[in-house]
Amino acid sequence: MSDLFEPNIVAFVCNWCTYTGADLAGTSRLTMAPNVRIIRLPCTGRIDTLFILKAFERGADGVIVSGCHPADCHYTAGNYHARRRFAVFRELMEFAGIDPQRVTFSWVSASEGGKWAEVVNNATEQVRRLGPFQKYPSPAAHAGEIACKS
Amino acid sequence: MSRIGVFICHCGENIGRTVDCARVAQSLGDLPGVVHSVDYKYMCSDPGQVLIKQAIQEKNLDGIVVGACSPHMHEKTFRKAAASAGLNPFLCEMANLREHCSWIHEDRELATEKAIALGRFIVEKIKYNRPLSTIYIPVERRALVIGGGIAGIQAALDIADGGRDVILVEKESSIGGHMSQLSETFPTLDCSQCILTPRMVEVAQHPRIKLLAYSEVESVDGYIGNFQVKIRRKARSVDETKCNGCGECQKNCPNKKIPSEFDQGLGTRTAIYVPFPQAVPNIPVIDRASCALFRGRAKGVKKVVCGKCAEVCGRNAVDFDQQDSFVTEKVGAIVVATGYQLYSIGKSQELDILRGYGEYGYGTIPDVIDGLQFERLASASGPTGGKILRPSDGKEPKKIVFLQCIGSRDPAKGIEYCSKICCMYVAKHTMLYHHKVHDGKAVVFYMDIRAGGKGYDEFVRRAIEESHALYLRGRVSRLSRDGDVIRVQGFDTLSGEPVVINADMVVLATAMRPQPGIAALAQKLSVSYDQHGFLNEAHPKLRPVETNTAGVFLAGACQSPRDIPDSVAMASATASKVLGLFSKELLEREPLIARVDRMTCTGCFHCERVCPYGAVERKTLTDSKGRIIKVIAEVNQGVCQGCGTCQATCPSKSVELDGFTDEQIYAAVNAI
Amino acid sequence: MQELRDLAKKLLLDKQVNAILGYEWDRRGARPAFITEAGDCDRLVFDHRCVQNLAAYLSPRRANIAQLGRLAVVIKACDARAVAGLIRENQLKREDLVLIGVRCGGVVVNPSDSEQLNAENIAPRCVGCEQREPTLADHLVGETQSAPVGKANRDLRLSEIEKLNPEERLSLWTSLLSQCTRCYACRQVCPMCFCERCIADKTQPAWIESSPHSRGNFSWHLTRALHLAGRCVDCGECERACPAGIPLGLLNHKVARIVASRYGYAVSDDPSRETPIGSYRLDDEQEFIA
Repeated sequence: MSDLFEPNIVAFVCNWCTYTGADLAGTSRLTMAPNVRIIRLPCTGRIDTLFILKAFERGADGVIVSGCHPADCHYTAGNYHARRRFAVFRELMEFAGIDPQRVTFSWVSASEGGKWAEVVNNATEQVRRLGPFQKYPSPAAHAGEIACKS
Repeated sequence: MSRIGVFICHCGENIGRTVDCARVAQSLGDLPGVVHSVDYKYMCSDPGQVLIKQAIQEKNLDGIVVGACSPHMHEKTFRKAAASAGLNPFLCEMANLREHCSWIHEDRELATEKAIALGRFIVEKIKYNRPLSTIYIPVERRALVIGGGIAGIQAALDIADGGRDVILVEKESSIGGHMSQLSETFPTLDCSQCILTPRMVEVAQHPRIKLLAYSEVESVDGYIGNFQVKIRRKARSVDETKCNGCGECQKNCPNKKIPSEFDQGLGTRTAIYVPFPQAVPNIPVIDRASCALFRGRAKGVKKVVCGKCAEVCGRNAVDFDQQDSFVTEKVGAIVVATGYQLYSIGKSQELDILRGYGEYGYGTIPDVIDGLQFERLASASGPTGGKILRPSDGKEPKKIVFLQCIGSRDPAKGIEYCSKICCMYVAKHTMLYHHKVHDGKAVVFYMDIRAGGKGYDEFVRRAIEESHALYLRGRVSRLSRDGDVIRVQGFDTLSGEPVVINADMVVLATAMRPQPGIAALAQKLSVSYDQHGFLNEAHPKLRPVETNTAGVFLAGACQSPRDIPDSVAMASATASKVLGLFSKELLEREPLIARVDRMTCTGCFHCERVCPYGAVERKTLTDSKGRIIKVIAEVNQGVCQGCGTCQATCPSKSVELDGFTDEQIYAAVNAI
Repeated sequence: MQELRDLAKKLLLDKQVNAILGYEWDRRGARPAFITEAGDCDRLVFDHRCVQNLAAYLSPRRANIAQLGRLAVVIKACDARAVAGLIRENQLKREDLVLIGVRCGGVVVNPSDSEQLNAENIAPRCVGCEQREPTLADHLVGETQSAPVGKANRDLRLSEIEKLNPEERLSLWTSLLSQCTRCYACRQVCPMCFCERCIADKTQPAWIESSPHSRGNFSWHLTRALHLAGRCVDCGECERACPAGIPLGLLNHKVARIVASRYGYAVSDDPSRETPIGSYRLDDEQEFIA
């Protein structure tokens, strides 16, 4: 193992497009960075901004959110609602000081195994450059705070 | 306290090569709540499954995690194994250690670490899984077919012949669709009406088909097996139960100069009319916009201006005061077969993305016509009795230029797709022309010839070799009137020369587009559609006639441009899907659906707004004295498809999606 | 003022309503008043010191107020947007209310020491407010007001923060939000926070940690701002109520600007107007999605 910082990245993906696209990347044996761990949801519509905030709280350095392309949603419109939700969330998050480079949003269809590998590698590189997200109010960063207040 | 079993599969070498499976099993075995953790060469094999079943029974497991391939591969297998050992199948989950780990990483150490993390997510998640039971919903075994063209007719007949009742809704006054307008059909040149009309009559006479012509779908409620469809029966101004189709009214109508839609404006009709003699049902309709009586009424004239049709009707069937009426039908499946319209060539287009062909003078040069108009000219029942005559002066054209790909395959004009049928029907037109005007010359401008299909390429060859059509590869830049002829300025890309042809008539093979109003219908049905309005199938290869809304199926050109054989094949495929659905009295559904917490729901109905299926209903809670406590959301189990958009939207998280509850996701996120 | 009192009296005497919800003087400015007797109507007042958003009392969760029956409420334009929001989200029925709109030229930040409204003491949110009177109201009282002017400029403050680099912004908000004691005054005073059980109080699972340290505070305030996306009526009550002086209005104003620039949405007092979250367009901008 090298001395490179190995970021911890969580991916929230929809079951029908991106999860299947990631399966395809596997069956195509596309080698990619091992830093991304997938949590499967039925639809991007199900992906709550709370998931992302909680992931950072728990020490994630980066997050990927990915689902079906517009017009391809298995549930017709879940991704359209998600798109608005994340558009607003992303700008607010940036305003609050969470570097938007830590959160990657993408559309990866079931046939885009190659694109998934790219998304994973790009996100890993991007977050690696930014370094550990210790500044986010996570247990590690603020271990002393509770003690101070109590 | 949980009693979880973990089973790590080597998948032969597939996982074992890059992931240290024994270490994964050991590490996950140390997690609280895990009481059993093993690894094995092939978990999906019989001995592997026996291992799981034995452990469930011997160690009294209340949840199992199989770390193996993708759940899309073997989730069903392992859930079945769990069920056979007496464990609720929804207490079995998979961690994807193959597609998402061993196959995409090379470093054994990092891959093993990742495998442990993926396994840990699922172990933590499964602690919050609940036993779920399959949902059963009753099926109303009747089908609704929307659209009475050849696809709708075929689907209706096949379903009815399969022993199930069908309601066929057609917006025009007769079924038949575009096929009834065609002269002959490729590649056999059999007469379209001759093969279609017997099927139309069969529809009318079939004891299991209820035909609602001149009707439209107003609204659709419900879900697979249980749709309630409200249908608007438009006012015909003729009582269908009394009319016997004698035709006296039509004969006596004084207004005979109305352009006939059926003849594409090349012929005329009366104000009370049947669109064509073989119409089914053979009952006239009054075109209120053209009828003198209704025009008089609209202007407020007190006197009854006309009324000839009513006077001559021996059955007293004409009813000037008829209003639109509504019927509601309960059906279990819906087939959409709304067909197509042709790209309108003129400058003005109803969609911004479409650019018409102003340079072709369609609508201003009378002898520039489209493919369907040519069909009417060539049809024995058409306005010219089957003679090819110019609309402008009634002379026989000695030279006709046919232009292919008008609108199609031209992103600049708004449509990038191929309309698929034009190559074939243009070849047919050149043949029909040759048969009728022996000394006539047909010239075709084409981009490519796409003649895939049984007997199709041979057919095009015949047009060229036997009917002597001249095929020029290239586009035409301009059509202009030059005295008696139309000047066609084009370019032959094979010779590299500009070409100018003086034609007597020009026929434009225009693109196929979905019917107007398709988007509104798709929204009523919650079916998605592409940027052109063609309805989306559930899967382009494996589920071509289903849609993403369970119980709604597609047939014919509403899904993409199709010719008659394709439409018929698709209609029969759809009918077999419908009959398959109707073969059961109860439908099984995965229970991964949303449910609302009555205690905390505030009734803001954000969920209702985002639900793609309209599954959220309003429920009024009352106390024992019947006083309203509050109005809250409730999820209809039959309609919900389990996307979970409601849950992510709910501000107070008062709705939970089973299988992906907040507690489950939280536990997984907490385990990172 | 007399116009308001006469109207209130008439509404009570004619039995059109059982109570009037308005403002009365208080040693620290004005406070909400519930008037059930016509004789008490002379207590009613309205001027730039009437900062409270009385729509917060209309949520069905406040059962004791719901028991009063049919109400007339004094509303400014911003308050009317809250009433519209409550109607839109099925918490109120329009026909159950009589709305007395008051013309407003802005309110002050601190009612206790602001006899006169001026460019110094005007609430920042009022600067640039374009609505002088509610369109939703049944009755409209008060003199015509001119557009408020003031020195405060929230947009300038936003752009100052936006100019910082991400680390500086994070430090800024971490330090601001570390002041939060999770008293939830912001939530209680907000007319649009009407959930029976707030997400912050949900324990299974506890998405938002309840103890007052930056971790949970961050999640709480970002989530609250998101829940108010397209719903915040910009009444400024959360910021006014915050005992720690956290500039919560900035978060809400930021979100309002996001939905305005992305979806052309401005909060209105038209209950039939669809809000941006929960609706979508096929061609919504998606420049941030790879």
